[in-house]
Amino acid sequence: MATLRDRLVGFIAALRTAGVRISVAESIDAMNAVVAAGIERRRMHEALAAALIKDEADRLNFDESFSRFFAAPARERGEHPDNRGAQVSAASGRGRPGENPSILDDQPPHKPDQPREGSAPELDDSSPPRQLQSEKKSPSSRRKDSEADRKGDHHERGDSESRSESAASQIDAARVARLRTIERMPFEKFSDLQYDEAREALAPLIRRFRIRLGRRLRLARTGRIDFRRTIRAGLQRGGAFLDLNFRARRPRHVDLVILADLSGSVRYAAQLMLELIAGARGCFRRVSSFVYVDHLAEADFEQGHLVMTPALDLYARSDFGRVLGELWTRRAGLLTRATIVVIMGDGRNNLLPPRADLVREIARTCRGVVWLNPEDPARWGTGDSAIKQYAREVNALVPSRNLRELQAALVRVA
Amino acid sequence: MHLTQEQISDGLKRARYITNERVETAIFLALALEKPLLIEGPAGSGKTEVAKVLAEILHTDLIRLQCYEGLDEARALYEWNYQKQLLRMQADEQQGLRWEELSEHIFSRDYLLERPLLKAITAPSRIVLLIDEIDKADEEFEAFLLELLSDFQVSVPELGTLKARERPAVILTSNRARELSEALRRRCLHLFIDFPGIEQERKIIELKVPELDAKLAAEVARFVAAIRKLGLRKPPSIAETLDWARALMSLGIRELDTDAVRAALGVLLKHEDDRAKVESKASTLAPRAR
Repeated sequence: MATLRDRLVGFIAALRTAGVRISVAESIDAMNAVVAAGIERRRMHEALAAALIKDEADRLNFDESFSRFFAAPARERGEHPDNRGAQVSAASGRGRPGENPSILDDQPPHKPDQPREGSAPELDDSSPPRQLQSEKKSPSSRRKDSEADRKGDHHERGDSESRSESAASQIDAARVARLRTIERMPFEKFSDLQYDEAREALAPLIRRFRIRLGRRLRLARTGRIDFRRTIRAGLQRGGAFLDLNFRARRPRHVDLVILADLSGSVRYAAQLMLELIAGARGCFRRVSSFVYVDHLAEADFEQGHLVMTPALDLYARSDFGRVLGELWTRRAGLLTRATIVVIMGDGRNNLLPPRADLVREIARTCRGVVWLNPEDPARWGTGDSAIKQYAREVNALVPSRNLRELQAALVRVA
Repeated sequence: MHLTQEQISDGLKRARYITNERVETAIFLALALEKPLLIEGPAGSGKTEVAKVLAEILHTDLIRLQCYEGLDEARALYEWNYQKQLLRMQADEQQGLRWEELSEHIFSRDYLLERPLLKAITAPSRIVLLIDEIDKADEEFEAFLLELLSDFQVSVPELGTLKARERPAVILTSNRARELSEALRRRCLHLFIDFPGIEQERKIIELKVPELDAKLAAEVARFVAAIRKLGLRKPPSIAETLDWARALMSLGIRELDTDAVRAALGVLLKHEDDRAKVESKASTLAPRAR
């Protein structure tokens, strides 16, 4: 006998399967929300959404699951309020809902004896489980599809207003969802299309990155007392030290030297990193960006496009040893005690001499050398990878397989 | 006192806040379950307004805590009034009070500067607490809030524990400048407010700028909705739409054609690039292109 509580538990389990994170506390909230809001369909829908969906990106998933689980009656008709009320309060008991996510298995969503099934559900009975599976496989591609659908929807301007309106309200949610996916997608799987999407995701990342950096520079409210300023402030109050003034933390001067590998395998990661740092360049004293394949070139961003001088042959065989040599001999002026060198690359050197000794020299001259590797750590040191040799010389070797890791790594650097 | 959802719906209407069922349900649940409500959405979509309207519905005060980078407990919760304490000590010096008596004096509620959060807790009746732009505050502050939001009590070492007599209705807003922690999300109900649809925005314009011609109001709403989809640096907020509607009215514009759009675009768009973008497309966007 399936009560409303069972259905809710099943519903929550289905949401979890679809990748929405729901805690036990939240599922209890959901039960209480339904008790408070009643079970009129639309209202219950919104109530559950408020209690369960904490991220607008999950909203599409939620709406889909909801219409699958709580099928709309063919026509809105009066429910039996007394009956339902009793059921709901019974459902709100002290049970620990959500602890049994497997309930979905023994109670498939299209089970015929569900309580509110007096009217025919509008959904095709066989489709739900399949949908669920496809969702598990590739939520991103599916979202993109539906997004594309909606975009198509927009182009025909003249269609009914209400339709385009609901589509508009979902657009932002879909966008957020897409950006989240891209943030977690490994760079290895990138193509030009993903790169463009990642560029879009970059803007909020840059903002967050800047905030994280900026926080270090703000005035101290604690710490060492600045006696001179405190006494001077006290003079205005008859010598009582009413206001304590603290010594401002001196902003650290940081010069960045960035070396980014532009060869095929890590190109996207490198460009995104350069752009991310370029966006936060105000937080450093000086940022010098270089890109390399088999030799060194200065990199700059002009209106979102990477400009390098001189131009590099992107299909050359990468030779980091030679690049290091060029940096060491021609650009030695950049390498000082205040410099942090950030290297982005996979350390695959086509079996040419890796010149790890130069990395050691650079590490000795500079404040630090950090290597960001977009490759999966499991593959480090295999084949022509010289990363293990470099790893001994650098201060930190950080995996940065996707945008998220990349940003976290850069925050650590700075 | 618990309000029913219908009462809230009526209250919102009376407070001249046009919205949809999603918002109503979320507000209702936040009150019924006594849980904080986290509102997200683009800037200028009316998040802060929800709290103000809620205070109006409940006939109570709104206490607002504007978050910013570097906000700390001293600014948000309480701080001892150091200046006043010192003065007191100097004044007491002549009377030769013992330390116990003195400390009783200077660590009493008179010398406590109540900041918004403490004010919300010590309020005699239920108030609305608005924690605005929580995403701007630091992560440490967010963690501190977690503790406060779960029990609504704080302990001031010198005074003991202060507990809220009535749990305030808490509204948090966020613009997603940074990702909020899962822990905070878990403890709140969630509401996403997007820009209103064309029909809804038309209603808002008609309500707030009643002098404007109804036909023009509809055109304004449609135009604004269209330029919000252009991917501008800063899409126009509802307030800016209203300003624009007022500007059009005072310019005596009757129909929204290309020239009319150009005339007062500065009210709507605050970035030069945005402006250029919209102006270049004005002829296709304006309902009455020539």
